[in-house]
Amino acid sequence: MKVMLRKALPGALLALLLAGCGSSVTLDPPTIPKPLIESIPLHIALRIPAEFESFVHEEELLGNEQWTIDLGRSNAEFFEQLFGYMFDELTVLSADDDESQFQFDALVEPSIDAFEFSVPNQTKTDSFAVWIRYRLKVYDPEGQLVENWPVSAYGKSLTTTMGGSDALRRAAVLAMRDAAALMIIRFDPDELIRSLGSGTAAHEGSSSEDTDTVQVTVIEGDNGD
Amino acid sequence: MISQSFQATSRLSRSAQLLVSIAGLTLLSGCVTSRVENSREGMTGIRANESVVIMAKSYHVGNETEDKYISCVESALGRGKNGLNVIPHRTFVDSLFPWFEPRTAPAETKGLPKLMKRPGVAARIREQGVRYIIWLDGDTDKVAGGGSLSCAAGPGGGGCFGFAWWQKDADYDASIWDLDELESAGTITADVSGTSFMPALVVPIPLIARTQAAACKGLANQLRAFIVSEEAA
Repeated sequence: MKVMLRKALPGALLALLLAGCGSSVTLDPPTIPKPLIESIPLHIALRIPAEFESFVHEEELLGNEQWTIDLGRSNAEFFEQLFGYMFDELTVLSADDDESQFQFDALVEPSIDAFEFSVPNQTKTDSFAVWIRYRLKVYDPEGQLVENWPVSAYGKSLTTTMGGSDALRRAAVLAMRDAAALMIIRFDPDELIRSLGSGTAAHEGSSSEDTDTVQVTVIEGDNGD
Repeated sequence: MISQSFQATSRLSRSAQLLVSIAGLTLLSGCVTSRVENSREGMTGIRANESVVIMAKSYHVGNETEDKYISCVESALGRGKNGLNVIPHRTFVDSLFPWFEPRTAPAETKGLPKLMKRPGVAARIREQGVRYIIWLDGDTDKVAGGGSLSCAAGPGGGGCFGFAWWQKDADYDASIWDLDELESAGTITADVSGTSFMPALVVPIPLIARTQAAACKGLANQLRAFIVSEEAA
């Protein structure tokens, strides 16, 4: 028995040490405040991709620190809330639904191009930061791509006495709110209705540089119009 | 009998003196020097039904003002019989979503007229009676430190020996925007420097300089005086 214990103890200690090098954060679905905007008079079909139902980001940082960030359904609920506020009518489609069975003015397909984060050890500050790059593809009812936008969002939160996990959660929520602000500004009602009405792919394949220019203007306090 | 009682009283007295000395040392704090200055650009004043909001400038432009500092200024401004009505910053930001997010909030007063023309914005601000937005910029940093302090523990007990010190600087700027006039009313700066000490002879005795708290109190007092002093309510 003693021999078994002696053999098992180093293994258990090593497991404990390794467990101490990892962090796991689970994000509860965020609540986006009702935006102070006039809703756009369109019926939008929002296709929620399968990855939005259970998004998990795993990354090994310098120094062998393993981080697991479980966003769960946060992205799905975020888009459902936001688009529910932004448009007069919203139909949520799952990844498997056949859009031809539904009536709508435009179909929007969001996806995540990239998810990144930084911790205080890396930046030598007291802050956690989260970057999420979403991509929005907008199709007309005939299935033609009319808009293709990258939305680069950023959130930052200082560490608190409650610990790093809370700060990272707050940074992720702030990044989603940032994405919401960008999308509200980017979805110009007149332009969207015009491009849907004309049936032309006016912004198809628009480059990320175009959108970045819009974002810089917004940061400078121009409020993005 | 009398002698025993005297010795016991004497021992009690020495213990009490020791306790009082330790408590006195603990109550002592480190050194803090502070300078709070203001620069006025326009007339101010506030009515009983008007309120203020304390906000941090955007982290998109590198600002790192701590949430707890904002909460401290909010609390200090609202305290006492001369306290101002303060709307909590998160309540204000949520009520005007997305127009006061770090990316979209106006960086200068020249962005205010355009913001006020957005649907519902002016009405929502009026509902809450917000007359002034106070934008805070700055943070508290440890700028120097030194000394050496070591602690050890064994079966017979433990203790610390040595001396350590550190200096923190709290530098904050407050820009006051008047939402009636849609222009800047002025700025207040608070520069506070505090040095904390920790001598240890068996027991470490922390003499902490409450630098950020001093910057909070100094800035809040100056803000209250700045806002209420000029115009008759």
